[in-house]
Amino acid sequence: MKSIENKKIFINSNKYVYRVEHLTLEGTCSIDHGPKCVEIKDLFVDKYPVTNKQYLNFLKKTGYFPKDNQRFLEHKPNKSIYDLPVVFVSQKDAMEYAKWAGGRLPTDEEWQYIASGPKYLEWPWGNKFNPTLCNHDGDHLVSVNVNRKGASWCGCEDMVGNCWEWTAHIHNDGNHQFALLRGGSYFYAHDHWHVGGGARKTNYHWKLQILNEGMNRASTVGFRCVYDSK
Amino acid sequence: MVLDVFMIQNNYKFIKKYEDFCFGDLKLIFDFEKKIALKKLISINNNYNFIKTSNNDLFNIKVENQLIPKNKYKIEKVFKNNNKEFKVISIDFSQYFNKDFFKGRISFIKKKENIIDFIFQLSAKWKNNIPKKIVLNFPFIINFYKDKKFLKPGHIFDGKKTIKKGVWNLHEYPPSIISDNSNNNFLGLEFYDQFPWQANYNLAMHEAISNENFDKFETEVQLTQELSDIILMKIYISSNVKEKIFHLWKENTRERYDLRKYHNNKNRWIENNYLQHFMFAYGEEAFDYKKMKFKINQIIREGKEFGGYDSILFWHQYPRLGLDESNQWQLYKYLPKNYKTIKKIVDICHSHNIKFFIPFKPWDIRPNESLDSHAKSLEKFIKATDIDGFFLDTMSSLPKSFLKIKKKFPSFEFCSEGTPREKRQIEDLTSSWDQIGDIRRNFKVDINSNFFRFIFPEHPLNLVSRWSVGSDKDSLIKRAVFNGTGMVIWQDVFGCWLPFSGEQKKNIKTLKNILIKYHKCFFGDSSIPLINTLSKKIICNEFSDSTLKEKIYSIHNFSRNEIKGKIIKLNSEVKKISQIYGKNNNVKIVKKQNNFYLSANLDINDLILVNIKFK
Repeated sequence: MKSIENKKIFINSNKYVYRVEHLTLEGTCSIDHGPKCVEIKDLFVDKYPVTNKQYLNFLKKTGYFPKDNQRFLEHKPNKSIYDLPVVFVSQKDAMEYAKWAGGRLPTDEEWQYIASGPKYLEWPWGNKFNPTLCNHDGDHLVSVNVNRKGASWCGCEDMVGNCWEWTAHIHNDGNHQFALLRGGSYFYAHDHWHVGGGARKTNYHWKLQILNEGMNRASTVGFRCVYDSK
Repeated sequence: MVLDVFMIQNNYKFIKKYEDFCFGDLKLIFDFEKKIALKKLISINNNYNFIKTSNNDLFNIKVENQLIPKNKYKIEKVFKNNNKEFKVISIDFSQYFNKDFFKGRISFIKKKENIIDFIFQLSAKWKNNIPKKIVLNFPFIINFYKDKKFLKPGHIFDGKKTIKKGVWNLHEYPPSIISDNSNNNFLGLEFYDQFPWQANYNLAMHEAISNENFDKFETEVQLTQELSDIILMKIYISSNVKEKIFHLWKENTRERYDLRKYHNNKNRWIENNYLQHFMFAYGEEAFDYKKMKFKINQIIREGKEFGGYDSILFWHQYPRLGLDESNQWQLYKYLPKNYKTIKKIVDICHSHNIKFFIPFKPWDIRPNESLDSHAKSLEKFIKATDIDGFFLDTMSSLPKSFLKIKKKFPSFEFCSEGTPREKRQIEDLTSSWDQIGDIRRNFKVDINSNFFRFIFPEHPLNLVSRWSVGSDKDSLIKRAVFNGTGMVIWQDVFGCWLPFSGEQKKNIKTLKNILIKYHKCFFGDSSIPLINTLSKKIICNEFSDSTLKEKIYSIHNFSRNEIKGKIIKLNSEVKKISQIYGKNNNVKIVKKQNNFYLSANLDINDLILVNIKFK
């Protein structure tokens, strides 16, 4: 079986108005949600989230193994799930991969631009939700390339649903550390007290409060990389 | 059994104009000339008549919006039994109206000292067997309600008006109280046996009389061919002090409860759980991001500023649950060193005599799980970690599956987020939070009396209003002091850091020390909320055990002015008085004409606690 190739897609520099809609169930997400003008520089972006195959290759090439390995690759990736997005990786694990691949994690602003584009689309494919174009409320992860029609304006696939994606920063409000996740996942928990699951709009992020690595890794959280254009 | 009077008037014209009947301290005089009305309701001790207006019909019946004229009722029978154990007077009546036939019965029964039941029963035999819409109202109760001296449940007089200063959340409703002008005679009115369901007539009556415009109140009822109970009202009588009404009602209410679980010696520790710390895992208060471990020793140290935590509630599932398939138990495995982390924290807590709670999230129960399976998980968790309690998130009841745990671990405690409301829940759940606060509506923490705490003093409450800050936190502490409850020290609210100030910590520490020192008095069984005060704009709770030898008064000035002088009239001679909370308010006893008064100088919003020992 031939695995998919995770091509890099070029994004032209542009300015756009960043605005995230994010009211938490209780409390606040203490960052500036816009609207504010942000500048996206020329960059390349992975067409798909990083796959199990890509991540295993990284491990093989670098011998990377996190010091705190609680839940690290708990799903035990093997050939049969090569094309699924890699999950059970913390933000640190994702950053290590990105660094090795010559890239980095996208910022929250970059991710939104890649997903919604200059037309400010609320979903990668348009302004109306279509659950058939993404892995929403499914039973498990699927290959990163099965929802081709759900691609964003620039050709990036699997931007929403399937797995959440890490963004680049750890935010610190002086008392707490948190990261922002994007895109939602296949898992859609049943109660309003749960993390709002399923595929999420391009202008939405989830505030994941950081704890130890065992808590930071999850079966629904992966990542994709961006690469600065030189 | 001897029936003193048994009078049947069937087939005869009922000729008696009045009928009177004595229930100990209370005499009822019925007016049959005006058909079925109360002419007088007299407190015998002081010869005071509570009924002042002329139209005191016991009921009005409307059939499809047509009032049955009161002169049409036919009195069928008056039945009296003057036996001490079961005093009763009942009046049977009947009426044809537009070819429908109605039968009814009004009864007053006394089985307990100072408590009289009023029962209204009605039946209908419909023409063509098709029911009609029946609406009732009760003029004699409405007349009470319109009286200037009528206090709705939980209200106090504020000059000529009344204001609500008492709250309760349980399905037992304290009585409304009507008094005479000299404050010597009191009647309490309670609509009992309510069920939390809209079709319950008594609940409708209670809600109506507790709100505005009861004088326009009408209730719809469905009648059958047999006499059915429509309205059940209890009348409590005191010809002495208002507080006796609460006491009578409380004792009568508590008699129905099985409170054995509160007397389990193994978990008596919960009585001293005055301060519970809410340990939100995801923040600098609880977690050292450099060392990647929980700062339990630091939390315990910092807790000393509040007077020391009695328990810690560890919280790491919400708002993380639902990110993936992991359930609430699995999330413990992902903590550093998994369950061992909890075990280590518990051991440290225990070495400081601090109990440890974890939460249960009923909303996270998955399709392949049950309450029984969660009970099993809990059992394993208790064995592995030695935790002391389970906090029932979003709940105010204890599932039976969990109750079994207590048999295996008798000292284990269940504490619910909501104060239990219904009988079974109050019996099973032996502690809970007293949670207030709704910031959606610009919530202001009110200093008022929590009636639950006075009805069930054995049920420890920890007051919390998670989002309150600044002056609302000050009020929150005052509310805890006013009601003599513990608190939840919750500073990291799911990622919002809302700490208490140094002054606030000091006040909480003082509160905790007072609760420890005066535990017996605060949690005694003779405490009474909102006792009479001599000054409007002052509210006062009285705490005491059954010996009544020592009392604590919590007193709050909620006016916009300084109040000086006599505040409360005391019933006995004082041996010793001391102010135990608040600044120096010149608290003293004033004797005047053989009466004893508590006097104090209270600034705006002052709240004080005064301890008095009686001779």
